[in-house]
Amino acid sequence: MQVETDSKNTAPAADVKGSTQAVSALTATHIVRAIGVRKTFRMGDEEVHALKGVDFKVNRGEYIALMGPSGSGKSTLFNMIGGLDKPNAGRVFIDEVDIAALNTFELAWLRCHKIGYVFQTFNLIPVATALDNVMLPMLFADVPQAEAQDKAVELLKKVGLGERVFHKPVQMSGGQQQRVAVARALANDPAIVLADEPTGNLDSVTGRQIIELLREINQTDGVTVISATHDYKMLSVSDRIAWLTDGVIERFASRDELDIKEGRTDAK
Amino acid sequence: MSEMQKIVILPYRKVLQIAFQGLRIRLVKTFLVTACIALALAFMTYILCSNGMLAGIAERASDALQQRLAREGLLEQMLSTEQRSQTAWMLGIAMMISFAGIVNAMLISVTERFREIGTMKCLGGLDSFIVKLYLVESLFQGIVGTVLGIIIGVALAYAEGIGRFGTEALRLLPMNDLLKALFICFWAGVGLTVVGALYPAWRAAKMEPIQAMRSEV
Repeated sequence: MQVETDSKNTAPAADVKGSTQAVSALTATHIVRAIGVRKTFRMGDEEVHALKGVDFKVNRGEYIALMGPSGSGKSTLFNMIGGLDKPNAGRVFIDEVDIAALNTFELAWLRCHKIGYVFQTFNLIPVATALDNVMLPMLFADVPQAEAQDKAVELLKKVGLGERVFHKPVQMSGGQQQRVAVARALANDPAIVLADEPTGNLDSVTGRQIIELLREINQTDGVTVISATHDYKMLSVSDRIAWLTDGVIERFASRDELDIKEGRTDAK
Repeated sequence: MSEMQKIVILPYRKVLQIAFQGLRIRLVKTFLVTACIALALAFMTYILCSNGMLAGIAERASDALQQRLAREGLLEQMLSTEQRSQTAWMLGIAMMISFAGIVNAMLISVTERFREIGTMKCLGGLDSFIVKLYLVESLFQGIVGTVLGIIIGVALAYAEGIGRFGTEALRLLPMNDLLKALFICFWAGVGLTVVGALYPAWRAAKMEPIQAMRSEV
């Protein structure tokens, strides 16, 4: 029985991968495309329009910051890019795959192979060592254990934690835990790293280190980094910034415009 | 070993490892659940064994013992339908309390770990992995608790039997019947635990991964 269910799990994976490669050979410049995305939640009798027609494109290899006050729909948009939620109207493509067309297994496959998550609260598995935490996504991806272990050690070295492979989360500082989380996000060579307020629970020095680490993996590995943030330190490394207000993207800013903006912010 | 077998076996080892570490870190709760199962099963084993002994008296006890018991009227009292239905009720209640305890403890363990479960789902963990995790945890507690309970129950039943009937008590319950009783008790205990974990495991698996994403949830 077990063999049967597991083989079912891997079958859609192959489909998604196949279609992805076929399409991405043709287009491939946009890793994320959101077209006219709307999302409405019901809260009692009231309807809350979290997203009111968002158009959003992210280039492959871009480092993009998503800014906006809470309640702006930022997290809703973020969840859709992460394959955690589906829009009511409009379409979201991740690597040219329409997420609305995917079933539960395929969404899990997408999250496992295409997307790496970094959370505000680190969300490491408390009972597991740094190594086991980094190996977890590879376990979900059915990577053989020996291979997974080698890769996990390599990733932990890369984020500067080569000495702390067997430490548990409680034995590490916040910054170190977030580094483990970044290593874990990279475990299955994702196309996108989604960082949700990655510096929200860190002091400004460690926060800056995490931002620089994300920028580094973005530049050396070509991983697209999409980060929801309130942190102005994030702006100086971002290629582009999207401001979200009341469920629509108010404006985009490129890095060139940004220096002026940041100057102005500092001056205030 | 074929590729497929490897794929199936390796995660199981990992599931076992994660489940075991989870139990260790929540030691007090693990102990409570295990003790709960052990108590219920000790009671069940005790009742099955001592009932078996009583039933064996007519056939196997020496004449001297039978005469003594008849004189004291003890046997009649112990075999009365009133007494037996009372113990059946008590056994039922003990099992129900134990069941409720297991479901409750597992549900708490799900709520405590909502972020952990959500994170696993964000990282691509399938529902089946989460269900396995909880079932393995409960299975482990079920086996340990049941074995402990059976040992205690058998010890109690024989201690009481020896107190009442002397060393003859050891002959009253044939080995075959004893093993049959223990077999029933073992599966009752393990079954109780695993069935008790099904609903909490399902709740955990159906949890939305979004819940792990936001800290304010």
